[in-house]
Amino acid sequence: MSLVNLKQILTKCSLQQTQRSLLHTTAICNRVQSGRYRITAKKDFPLTYEMANPPHQIAHRKSWNSWNTSNLQGGLRSSETAVEDMFIRKFMLGTWHGLFVSEIIVKRQHNMIRVAGIIRQSISPRKVYFLIGYSEELLSYWLQCPTKIELQTVADRKDVIFKYI
Amino acid sequence: MNILKTTASRFLRLPNITSNFKYATAVETASKPQEVNEPIDKLYKTIELELRGNDSAVLNSFAKFATTAGKHLDVQSKSWNMRKPVHEKFTVLKSVHIYKKHRVQYEFRTYFTFVQYKHLTGSTADTLLEYVERNIPEGVALKATKVELQLLPDHLEPPKAE
Repeated sequence: MSLVNLKQILTKCSLQQTQRSLLHTTAICNRVQSGRYRITAKKDFPLTYEMANPPHQIAHRKSWNSWNTSNLQGGLRSSETAVEDMFIRKFMLGTWHGLFVSEIIVKRQHNMIRVAGIIRQSISPRKVYFLIGYSEELLSYWLQCPTKIELQTVADRKDVIFKYI
Repeated sequence: MNILKTTASRFLRLPNITSNFKYATAVETASKPQEVNEPIDKLYKTIELELRGNDSAVLNSFAKFATTAGKHLDVQSKSWNMRKPVHEKFTVLKSVHIYKKHRVQYEFRTYFTFVQYKHLTGSTADTLLEYVERNIPEGVALKATKVELQLLPDHLEPPKAE
């Protein structure tokens, strides 16, 4: 039983004008569930700031995870850039397994790609430096652009939790 | 006598000129022997930068940076954003299969900002543009348009006053 059917029935019943016009139907766009987390009974599901703000808050309380000029008027290479960004994210998540506590931010300036994120301090700094060099080298070779990895570390996973749901 | 040419490409350098040229504003004529071998610096009437971005806050901040950099080099600079942003929208089906009545709408926004520098020499222009271009934030595109002042070529003569 949809709203459109209901409206058709009401018009056929020839109601008064005021009652008929109270029902407004459009192509339904307002019910969304993407990027939103369900409230749990125990209220112990942790959300970071990014997870806590749903997608309609982008450009208001949130900003984007990929920064490039491919989607401007006259921008070039938007699909290739998007696919490369997805590849960078999968690569970083796999190489730094279980270490990222934030989203991976990809920024492109001129020819350079800068990958940023927050990691946990669960492995030794020596290993972190090795992984940084390894990731930069391989990503630069695959993407054919100088790639810089800029990481910040956080002692505890709980430091990036914004609220519990 | 000067003529204006609006272009974004490089010009051929003018041949070495001795002291019988005049610009609209008074300029010291160089007739020393060591300066004859150096190419004459170009003069730019205006350099206009068109900045495009997805985020108006980033654009405004960068325009402020660009004008401040110009002012530190004693170049008259100003910025404005009178061009309306372009919202490019598209509507797609929300579901993978059926449910034609349920859609999702996405949009890309392009904001525009302009920065203008007036009365620059070639070397100042090169330095300033290089500095501004190197510090472009990610997600901002820049297009530079230069208006240069050139001498009237020798084969064109002003009409005789008779």
